[in-house]
Amino acid sequence: MIEDYLVLSVILFCIGILGVISRRNVFTVLMSIELMLNAANLAFVAFARLNETMDGQILAMMVIAVAAAEAALGLAVIILLHRQKGRLDSNVFSLLKG
Amino acid sequence: MLFLPELTILGAGLALFAVSLGQFQPRTVKNITAYVLLISLVTTICSIGNNGTMFFGAFKVDLFTQIIKSIVVLGTFIIMLFSNPDAGVKKGTQPEYYLFMLMSVFGLMMLVSANELLAIFVSLELSSFTVYLMVAMRKNDTGALVNGTAQDSTGHGHAGIFCQTGQGMQSEAAMKYLLYGITASGLMLFGMSYIYGLTGSTELPVLAPALAKIFPAPVAVVAVLLILAGFFYKVALFPMQFWVPDVYEGAGNEATAFIATVPKVVGIALLIRIASLIPASGQEVTWVLGSCAVISMFYGNLAALVQKDMKRLLGYSGIAHAGFALLSVAMLGLYGFAIAMYYIIGYLLMTLACFLVICTLSRNGSNLQVSDMAGLYKRAPLLAITLACALFALAGIPPFVGFMGKFMVMVEVLHKGYLVFVVLATINTAIAIYYYLSIVRQAWCTDDKERPAATPSLLVNAAAFFLLITIIAMGVFANPVVNTLAAALSTTFS
Repeated sequence: MIEDYLVLSVILFCIGILGVISRRNVFTVLMSIELMLNAANLAFVAFARLNETMDGQILAMMVIAVAAAEAALGLAVIILLHRQKGRLDSNVFSLLKG
Repeated sequence: MLFLPELTILGAGLALFAVSLGQFQPRTVKNITAYVLLISLVTTICSIGNNGTMFFGAFKVDLFTQIIKSIVVLGTFIIMLFSNPDAGVKKGTQPEYYLFMLMSVFGLMMLVSANELLAIFVSLELSSFTVYLMVAMRKNDTGALVNGTAQDSTGHGHAGIFCQTGQGMQSEAAMKYLLYGITASGLMLFGMSYIYGLTGSTELPVLAPALAKIFPAPVAVVAVLLILAGFFYKVALFPMQFWVPDVYEGAGNEATAFIATVPKVVGIALLIRIASLIPASGQEVTWVLGSCAVISMFYGNLAALVQKDMKRLLGYSGIAHAGFALLSVAMLGLYGFAIAMYYIIGYLLMTLACFLVICTLSRNGSNLQVSDMAGLYKRAPLLAITLACALFALAGIPPFVGFMGKFMVMVEVLHKGYLVFVVLATINTAIAIYYYLSIVRQAWCTDDKERPAATPSLLVNAAAFFLLITIIAMGVFANPVVNTLAAALSTTFS
């Protein structure tokens, strides 16, 4: 039923947020963010079924495309960072202190 | 030709793509970009007064959107006037840098007109992704001071030692900007999915009445707040402001001038558009947004007190100013929205004036410390006057635009009966005066023998004059400007 999908999407979203907050490795953070985006996708598709319109499914497709672009960008910056520093833990984000 | 302003920017992007295939001097590339921006500025201003929708209602053109687009293009054009020929990026990558900047402007212009959740999301991402790359493109050999403030606090090293920035400051800044940015868009997307689920539509005009019916329901409030979080990131407001100081310090001067000004105007415009979905009786939303605004002010102003790097200081002051604009948006009235728009346009002018001085004084694209402003009144009188006016305006001293903005925000908040917010905002105004005026003191009351005199070019002087005049004029003629914005906004929402 629709509730199950929504509960699953909320759980995925919370796992994603937890990962972003607690993980140190840049790759894991990127994957957690993907999880957040996909949780939203799942909710969109479930709601599209509920509302009986196609808008939600189209939105989910667009989000997948945007997420691919975002992963490409993220990896490009990671390669740049790796060349200049040699390590990828978020701990090495120490040059600039928020 | 409703789409003409965007088309010219898109054509300009294509032209720069062609330029990026060849070998050109940085100055040539800069001139080409400035000319195409001038053309699109003219077309955007000419398009004021057009009305209509395109792309099946997803793209809306009216008085308000065209005014905001004109300001976006104008701000970018002013940045082009005062930026150095190499724009602080690596040798040979200037065409790509300007291409990304124009694509970001294109994304922002689409975002202002977006009338549908999908269009909002895609154009927001377009405008953000390109800016992440602009941050990462800063050149290595700027000889900037690496994090003087952090070294001070730990007791190692001291301000004034110059060393190479080569160790990845810019890519670290870009990485932080990117990670925070995507997280924010993830939050926004999740909010959008619930709005879509609740109303069954992604078009703002359709979903607004449906949302108003179910509004006091907690799920609707949470969904709207999640969408707002995406724009909080763009405008740098309290729960989403952590990227600001690092990105401002790590990005080049010209790129920071862009990040600090143009996207914020659009961010506030979109905050208004989303906030207008909330019925005016939404007390709980007002309290949440107002609290975020006040915390942003305190956070920005208190952190700015101890900053030594000019860009970090302006970053923290930007958080505080965004707080004032949000406080006005939180009142959820048409007049409050118009004042927020007036405030953020004034902020754009004041901050551009500060960055004009920074970009002109900076040697080889390095970061400037507050102490580098010493003796500016002798080295470059016009720059010193520009800096003083901009800082007085930021501090909120009459007759400049910053004072009128703060004054009208507080009057509006008082009218709505939120005395607590007025008191807290006033305390913040008092805190802010200290750090702004200490820069003015550096520039006007100290003498300096070592630092060379600056000789700004004719265009920089013209831009400085223009900014000075508009900062004063917008302060003096505040009422007509706010009334125009209110009239424009009322056509948007009716």
